[in-house]
Amino acid sequence: MPSAFAASVVFLRIQDFARRPASEQARLRAQLEAVVAVIAAELAAERRIVLDASDGAAVVVLRDPRGALRLAERALAASSAGLPLCAGLNHGTLQTVGRKNNEGLTGDGIAVAASIAQFTAPGRLFASRGFRDALADAAPGREAALVSAGSFNDPSLRAHELYKPDGNAVRRRGRRHALLGIVLGIALLGGGIAYRLSVEGQEASVDAVLGKVPYWRELVRKVSR
Amino acid sequence: MAKKTTKIGRYKILGELGRGAMGIVYKAEDPNLDRIVALKTIVLEADAEGRKEYEKRFFLEAKAAGKLNHPNIVTVYDFGEAEGVAYLAMELVEGTDLRERLKEAKGEGLPASDALDIAQQVAEGLGYAHERGIVHRDIKPGNIMLQRRGQAKIMDFGLARMRVADHKTSTGMVLGTPKYMSPEQVAGQPVDQRSDIFSLGIVLHEMLTGTRLFAGEDAPQIMHNVVHVEHEPPTRIKPELPPMLDFVVARALKKDPAVRYQDVFELSADLANCLAELRGKAPAAPAPDGTRTIKIASADRAAPAPAAREIAADSTLPFSRQFDPSAALERIARGNPKRLARGPRAVGLLRRIVLDSSARRLFFFALLGALAGGWIAFV
Repeated sequence: MPSAFAASVVFLRIQDFARRPASEQARLRAQLEAVVAVIAAELAAERRIVLDASDGAAVVVLRDPRGALRLAERALAASSAGLPLCAGLNHGTLQTVGRKNNEGLTGDGIAVAASIAQFTAPGRLFASRGFRDALADAAPGREAALVSAGSFNDPSLRAHELYKPDGNAVRRRGRRHALLGIVLGIALLGGGIAYRLSVEGQEASVDAVLGKVPYWRELVRKVSR
Repeated sequence: MAKKTTKIGRYKILGELGRGAMGIVYKAEDPNLDRIVALKTIVLEADAEGRKEYEKRFFLEAKAAGKLNHPNIVTVYDFGEAEGVAYLAMELVEGTDLRERLKEAKGEGLPASDALDIAQQVAEGLGYAHERGIVHRDIKPGNIMLQRRGQAKIMDFGLARMRVADHKTSTGMVLGTPKYMSPEQVAGQPVDQRSDIFSLGIVLHEMLTGTRLFAGEDAPQIMHNVVHVEHEPPTRIKPELPPMLDFVVARALKKDPAVRYQDVFELSADLANCLAELRGKAPAAPAPDGTRTIKIASADRAAPAPAAREIAADSTLPFSRQFDPSAALERIARGNPKRLARGPRAVGLLRRIVLDSSARRLFFFALLGALAGGWIAFV
């Protein structure tokens, strides 16, 4: 067995679990179990490991950050059904511990996800920089769905950059890139024109240069009609 | 041969009920009221300083306990000192103590309904005392009397102190029985009602499972276990117990008093719910393959703390068992260690253009402009 491996961790924490009456703890735990049963079933068994946590559950997702993000978002949708879930996402190193058939997982991957979930408000999801990078690696462009939400220091005083999902961020980025592409294209076109003008000197007229632009004359003719 | 005691104060001694670390308990008769009582006396220490301290504690106990009048607390009738002997006249409870009852169970624990019933009665008694500012500080099976009809009574508020007098133990003097102490008690810190809740949690766990929590070879090891070792959930030891008991015991046994039950009546209410659940319906039997069905109450999920019997959560398996991780662990074991441990790579330009549609659009427009500009410039 390898000594360590990297994976995405979705830590689902029930807010103030320890402070609630036992009957409510049992109810919330049962709800969480039902939610995890549904969302975990969407991932192939060889891609996920579900772990117990004292105040929730952690789902370790192997080599599928997109799946991990989807899973966290699906779990949070349960918050509207009265389950006060806080989600923390991280991508980090983990290690298997314990004997065969009684293994557990430990490592920074879980610890950071847990401390992020501890920091998060119910119904919210925060992801670490590590997770965003892993998402970018797995699906370039998808990381734009996670926008900066500041930073926080965990109990060990380590600073973590946090990102939150923004449904419109991808569309906004697409529009921004398209606009930038058009501006850049026009600038390059203008650069070509300027170069030509400078090369042909006084004799060259704007008309002559523009005449070089493909389909320019046809365009002018159509517009002037 | 020592002279047999026949009278202490106005009480006529009828026999000896037992001897403890603190003194002798006699069965005695109060001739004024024609009432049979349990008379607890102090075996006074030889040195004057120790004797003074002991007497002081004894009368503090008497004053504290004398204020309590509850069906689940042994009533104190009188206290005093006669001929150099300090005594405390208490209600004589016919029955046995919980320690004996647990011994009779031979490590099997008590039936769950009996255990919950006893714990709830003790919680009610403690709640009454806590409301009056009195903390027991030594809740253990030996201090819980069980009458024949099943009524439980807390006795020996011998370590009880008025909450306002907490500073009296701030010198670090540890009072209590190590096995049933709370972490803050072990640490010699000031204690409040939450300490009794922890002790009752230990007693409840012992009644349910028959196992002794925080057992150790000597007092320091026991104290270490109390502070650092987590308990095993009762359903892991006895799977037939209702899963909700895990939550009740876990909350009572939180090491941090701030996240423990803050009020023993909260614990009592949860125990009543568990008892109702236990009496109301038999627990769902596991399927032949060992799995259990997870059901969710269809009532308003946002409603706070429904009665336990309304909670149909009979899944006792931890997540790690419900969702078999063997396939994923197998994948990890089979995988290339270097590849598995590899962190995220920076996304290169080419990969970005090929896989990111937004970046591809930008690149397309820029390329178009560059081609057109180049055409104009050079052709």
